[in-house]
Amino acid sequence: MNISDSEELFLRSLDAELSEGDDAKLNAALQQNHELKNRSEQHVQLREFLIRKEVDSFGPFFAERIAHRISQLKSEFDYQIFFFFKKYQLLAAGIIIALLAINILVSDQLSIKSILGFEEEAIEEVISIDVYSNLIK
Amino acid sequence: MDLEIDEVLIQKARGGNVASFKELVQRHEGKVAGVVRSMLGSTPEAEDVGQEVFIKFYESLDKFRGDSMVSTYLVRIAINLSLNELKKRKRNYARYGGLEEGHEARANEDMRDLKELLTHELNMLEPDFKAVVSLRLVEGYTTEETSVILKIPLGTVLSRLSRAQIKLRLALSKKLKP
Repeated sequence: MNISDSEELFLRSLDAELSEGDDAKLNAALQQNHELKNRSEQHVQLREFLIRKEVDSFGPFFAERIAHRISQLKSEFDYQIFFFFKKYQLLAAGIIIALLAINILVSDQLSIKSILGFEEEAIEEVISIDVYSNLIK
Repeated sequence: MDLEIDEVLIQKARGGNVASFKELVQRHEGKVAGVVRSMLGSTPEAEDVGQEVFIKFYESLDKFRGDSMVSTYLVRIAINLSLNELKKRKRNYARYGGLEEGHEARANEDMRDLKELLTHELNMLEPDFKAVVSLRLVEGYTTEETSVILKIPLGTVLSRLSRAQIKLRLALSKKLKP
């Protein structure tokens, strides 16, 4: 086993369990090869140096900045919803205005009832005259 | 216990409770900051990516089923967004190569101690290798956890780790004790 293979085996031993055979090979190589021992020590130093020792942070008020962005997102969403339905709102308003206008044109009088499409009551409906019953008599 | 509390906070956040989401941010900021900074360095973009991580999480709250821990889910988003940022940097490097080279040269002159050298060498690693190193060696996740977070086989994690460490050792051998 050359030194590079032994170095890879050493690195693997730091992250995974080696088989008994590989473990024995590595121990033998470490005892015999001074260069491999040096490299292994350097790897251990590197790993000690790399590992995070303190909790990181994005600085003060990070959570507040996120909360602010979320509230912006919400109002942006409401705005988008409003504009998405705006054309339908305008269309509905147009239809209502058109219907009211038709009612005014069709009706011969200008009153709230005629504008809203309620038929004006005929005089016969208001004052019930029982003409037929009188005729029979 | 933590998982239960996270779940309760997520439920409340789903209902529009921003304070609960803020609590989640405070709880997991450290992990996300660690991963993003180890991928991108202490740059202004790192905080932008950090914010994006939590906004993406907020937007996908309804999709989060709790199969993995919240921290694992967030770290996965953090790694993906950091990789995207690195790709963007690479594109910018190709476009404005001259400017970056100047910066590079200055960095070489300025690098004196091991920490600076190491940061520089970490930045020189390929993004996929950097992700493995960040999670396993900087943040201290196990190889299995690293494999789950990055969704790559365990063997790939081990081989990338090994190659990255050899590269780092070679670059820093003069600064390291024999």
